[in-house]
Amino acid sequence: MSRISVIIDTDPGVDDAAAIMLALGSPEIDLRGVTVVAGNVGLQASVANACRIVALAGRRDVPVLVGAALPLVGKQAFGKYAHIGNFPDDLMPNTDYEPATLSAVRFIAEQARAAAADGRGITICAIGPLTNIALALRLHPDVARGIESIVIMGGAFTALGHRTPFAEYNIMADPHAAEIVWGSGVPVVLLPLDVTLQALFVEQDFAAMEAHGSPCGIALAGLLRRFDRSDLKRYGRPGGPIHDAMTVAWLLQPELFSGSHCAIGVTLYGPTAGQTWADLHGKTEQRPNACVMTHVDQAGYRRLVVERIARLGATPRPTTPIREFHA
Amino acid sequence: MTSTQIIIDCDPGIDDSIALLAAFVSPELEILGITPVSGNQPLERTVRNALQICELGGRTDIPVYPGSHRPLLRDVIRGQFHGQSGLGNTNLPEPKKRAEQKGAVEFLVDRLGEAARAGKPVTLGCLGPLTNIAMALRIDPSIAAGIARIVMMGGAYREPGNRTMTAEFNMLADPHAAHIVFSSDIPIVALALDATHQVILTPEHVEQFASVSGRIASTVADLMAFWDRNQVERYGSRGGPLHDPLVIAFLLAPHLFQTKRARVFIEQESELCMGQTVADWYNKSGLEPNAEIVCHVDAEGVIALFLDLFSRYRSERAA
Repeated sequence: MSRISVIIDTDPGVDDAAAIMLALGSPEIDLRGVTVVAGNVGLQASVANACRIVALAGRRDVPVLVGAALPLVGKQAFGKYAHIGNFPDDLMPNTDYEPATLSAVRFIAEQARAAAADGRGITICAIGPLTNIALALRLHPDVARGIESIVIMGGAFTALGHRTPFAEYNIMADPHAAEIVWGSGVPVVLLPLDVTLQALFVEQDFAAMEAHGSPCGIALAGLLRRFDRSDLKRYGRPGGPIHDAMTVAWLLQPELFSGSHCAIGVTLYGPTAGQTWADLHGKTEQRPNACVMTHVDQAGYRRLVVERIARLGATPRPTTPIREFHA
Repeated sequence: MTSTQIIIDCDPGIDDSIALLAAFVSPELEILGITPVSGNQPLERTVRNALQICELGGRTDIPVYPGSHRPLLRDVIRGQFHGQSGLGNTNLPEPKKRAEQKGAVEFLVDRLGEAARAGKPVTLGCLGPLTNIAMALRIDPSIAAGIARIVMMGGAYREPGNRTMTAEFNMLADPHAAHIVFSSDIPIVALALDATHQVILTPEHVEQFASVSGRIASTVADLMAFWDRNQVERYGSRGGPLHDPLVIAFLLAPHLFQTKRARVFIEQESELCMGQTVADWYNKSGLEPNAEIVCHVDAEGVIALFLDLFSRYRSERAA
């Protein structure tokens, strides 16, 4: 099996933690680095949180790289859960694991250019504002050639927004960066709120994440319980979404998803800045520039996330042999 | 005498080339690098032209770092008055000097970061669209402490635009980059069309330059002659405005310039006014000034300064 080379560009963030853990728990994925951007929380807290996640998974071979502190052009807006800041120590222990000295933008550019030079490609899972990726694409024309696809958690169409009435947070936080990424010619897969809100995780899922004693599973379940994402009034049923991990799930099991190729765009200014549109019904002449996911097998997605994270770093319990010995 | 450390960010370009040739013979300026950007010409051209001008000026010691290949968001636009190659009708030899492997943005991040840590900030002379500088500031905002100030050619305040009714070329080519730079709190000196249209390089001046510039005289004469806009109604005489070289003149002889401080905003939403530089002359915004805008230039003084600089090509650098 050839593994997929992946960079996760992230602003952790609880559901970012789930995405990174899902990637680290999946042998199909060769995680080359975690590039951090200011977003949900400020850059320093995002970097510290990313280091905690990677260290907790015991994967200090995966570099964490410091990215953009500000959006490209617009004013900075943090996430709905910005007050979390650094992950609480009791749930996600502090670490001495430090970020690399190379900047995230240059890391992405170098990885992509190296991939282009060898005729390979790297995949980027983009689960924060798209600032780092936009800057990397502008650094050198070869960068776009070396990126196989960019799988983005972002945007909202029929679901409307969750940060403002019209806009999903990752896109709203840097609409100019989104415009650059979508116009780059690199294949884009978009997982908007419309699809991430279809899968709601409940207590049963949290308990299953902890069942094998995985430190990551235990930490994530604790974070999901403490920072409850359920919204019965909006979702009509119990449970909360884990948006960002869907990008990694799409790489692992694309058969869980369905969607369509279409043109997408974003509003850059005004009261609806950050609002995204997708030409799902062919109303414009514009050429498709993204593959927009519209449906997910929610049970399959939850199972994938829970099973992989539950076994990440868990010591396999030698239950059966011990029982035989005692018998 | 302590010299000013400077990085010249440019898109040569005829007037960029005149600016570079002037800077090359100014011991007051220690040129740490030249960072060409996509602008008047595509990047490959601006890099090549910079290398050719370094060779012409006998300054192959200055590293040239290739910069951004396009503006941040907007589609590319090109200069209209620089000829096919960007250097008018000149026919300079294929450059032997090579550009550095490292890109301009990476160089700016590294060198300005070093300057910030050492407490020895560097001056940026910006002659083109501000893409390289904006990219570097967004990749690592801490480099702002490594920039003493930015002296830029760009904008049009009380003067109409030169590329659209309201916009000057460098600002229009990348208004988002300009916005990033003007929002950075780095001290800025802006030489806009308001200033550069005060210094017209007339055919009589061109003859004078041709007679003083020694071994580079014929190229200088070609470049300058090509620059003639032949638009007497607009500029008051034959000739062309000496845009980019004014950045070098300001650095060498600030007493020839009068400035006024104001907050500057860059229009980036309206297509009609895209790239317009709006100055808050009378503090309507309530915000602190972020730029010194040059309002008046001693044109004769500037021409005399450049004649003196170009005459240096006659003597010690003739070898």
